[in-house]
Amino acid sequence: MRKSLTLFSTAAAAVVCISLTLTPGKAQAPAAPAKAVAKAVAKGPRMPDGRPNLNGVWEYIGTANWDIQDHSPAPGPMWQLGAIGAIPAGQGVVEGNEIPYKPAALEKKKQNKASAPAEDPEAKCYMPGIPRATYMPFPFQIIQSNKDILMAYEYASANRLINMGKPIEAGSDTWMGTSNGHWEGDTLVVDVTGLNGLAWFDRAGNWASDKVHVVERYKRRSNDVMDYEATIDDPSVFTRPWKISLPLYKRAEKNAQILEFKCVEFAEELLYGKYKKQPTK
Amino acid sequence: MRQRVLTSLMVLTAVLVSTLMVTVPVIGQAGQAPAKAKKAAYTPPKLPWGDPDLQGLWPGTDLIEVPMQRDAKAGERTEVTPEEFAQRQAKAERTAENDKVAYVAKDSKVGINPPGYWLEHGRPQKITSLVVDPPNGRIPDLTDQAKQKAAQAKQAKQGHGPNESPEDQSLYDRCISRGVMGSILPVIYNNGTQIVQGPGYVAIRYEMIHETKIIPLDGSPHPSSNIKSYMGDARGHWEGNTLVIETTNFLGDKNGIGLNGGGTPHSADMVLTEKWTRTAPDMMEYTATINDPKTWVQPWTIRMPLRLNPEFPLYEYACHEGNYAMFNMLKGARADEAAAEAAKAGKK
Repeated sequence: MRKSLTLFSTAAAAVVCISLTLTPGKAQAPAAPAKAVAKAVAKGPRMPDGRPNLNGVWEYIGTANWDIQDHSPAPGPMWQLGAIGAIPAGQGVVEGNEIPYKPAALEKKKQNKASAPAEDPEAKCYMPGIPRATYMPFPFQIIQSNKDILMAYEYASANRLINMGKPIEAGSDTWMGTSNGHWEGDTLVVDVTGLNGLAWFDRAGNWASDKVHVVERYKRRSNDVMDYEATIDDPSVFTRPWKISLPLYKRAEKNAQILEFKCVEFAEELLYGKYKKQPTK
Repeated sequence: MRQRVLTSLMVLTAVLVSTLMVTVPVIGQAGQAPAKAKKAAYTPPKLPWGDPDLQGLWPGTDLIEVPMQRDAKAGERTEVTPEEFAQRQAKAERTAENDKVAYVAKDSKVGINPPGYWLEHGRPQKITSLVVDPPNGRIPDLTDQAKQKAAQAKQAKQGHGPNESPEDQSLYDRCISRGVMGSILPVIYNNGTQIVQGPGYVAIRYEMIHETKIIPLDGSPHPSSNIKSYMGDARGHWEGNTLVIETTNFLGDKNGIGLNGGGTPHSADMVLTEKWTRTAPDMMEYTATINDPKTWVQPWTIRMPLRLNPEFPLYEYACHEGNYAMFNMLKGARADEAAAEAAKAGKK
């Protein structure tokens, strides 16, 4: 009995030793544990470093892109579209509902509105800038890495990388600006400078100059809702800073993704039609 | 007693054998086939969620001056001769000298090209071509169908001027898209390619024309072929430390697989398979296999060794927003036509 036990335990020990030496070492890709982490991280609200996990496809629901202030329903610019092209009523997203324009700047807003939609950069398929890209009627995707945060907007393939490291100064002016971000607790704060002043805030012609300084705040309210704020500061246009605030919703489809909307083709007739050999009109 | 010992021994043997069978394949998986073992020696760091870290700026700039297709004289040679390499180095030195010219010489001719020092320059490379398969480094023949299409397109342009409508320009010059391959093949400027990774995704930013390819890694399927796009739909998975991306759902008869998306347009049925493998802290092995039986008689592969350049400035390439050339080409052509009409009328 003793002999067989010794034999048994020796053999068992041998099996254990052999299987230990054959077990994959650290350098190889771990199997089940990493997959579980990835799944947990993808679903859960936190990144492995404890920061809020904002990864996903997000979209605003509302009429801010028509007009960021309170507005009644109104006929649209093209009667040929009937009710499809009409402007829905909307509750404003501007805190206090007032945009504090200087008198001359307010005149320019009125001129913009009168020239819309043909002069709306959205109609031309120009990149919408910040904050308008956030509340276009198109989704955007946040790819949050362990370093920087990428935001890819479906509209016109606009995108921007939020630098989460040491802040960098804007080089030249751009349509989507230069974004430097940092965390304040669970709020992602993004400082945007270097915007070129050519994008509008909405189809109603609200605007700011190339001196505008936008500070955004993204805070997740729940798994599916994120609160967004953008403070607009441009002393050359406004008498004081003012704030936009609205909720963003996580797209809940199982196959949620942003698609492609390269709208240049749809805008070519508007932009170049009258210069074609066979002009339209 | 003896029976018991024998049974125990048999059980142990079975356990031992099954343990071996479970662990040995894992070893086979983790290391790669002996032939590739040398290349796969570097293991990239892992991101906190377990994926290999491929992040960074991997511009194609170094590869400017490497021809897409191999000189027929080189045959199956993948590297240039020492003499050819010396020629490449000499050319690079001449270019660097020219870049130092701070002014335009008095006898220079007027041109439309930017001054040389605006351009990005490559680093002399030993590879003979970007195309590595077929083994002769040349793009395979077009199918009869593709040749027919090309002939028809040429025919359709007969009797038409070059600037009648925006559609007369390339998709690049219209600032629509250069397509996936056109966005990464090295050209004279804005060769930025940047990888950003999130849990369950890899995103690739292409500087020109501000594209972002988002690649889900969750094994989800492509959408139906009713959704097509210029950049296609990408799905990815890891094979060891290699990111394998399969892209389908392309719009057909739009971009080609050449510089800036030129060349013979690919069909909507193309399947593009790209592989990204970090072979050193600052080197990325990138290959792309083009499989489009409607356009080319066989699949073909491009290979680009990309170098990490954390200092590379990836600019916003606001192409369409700044496309004054489109207005000017159309207006200029109309002015020319009007002048020609007026001259004709004057002669009458």
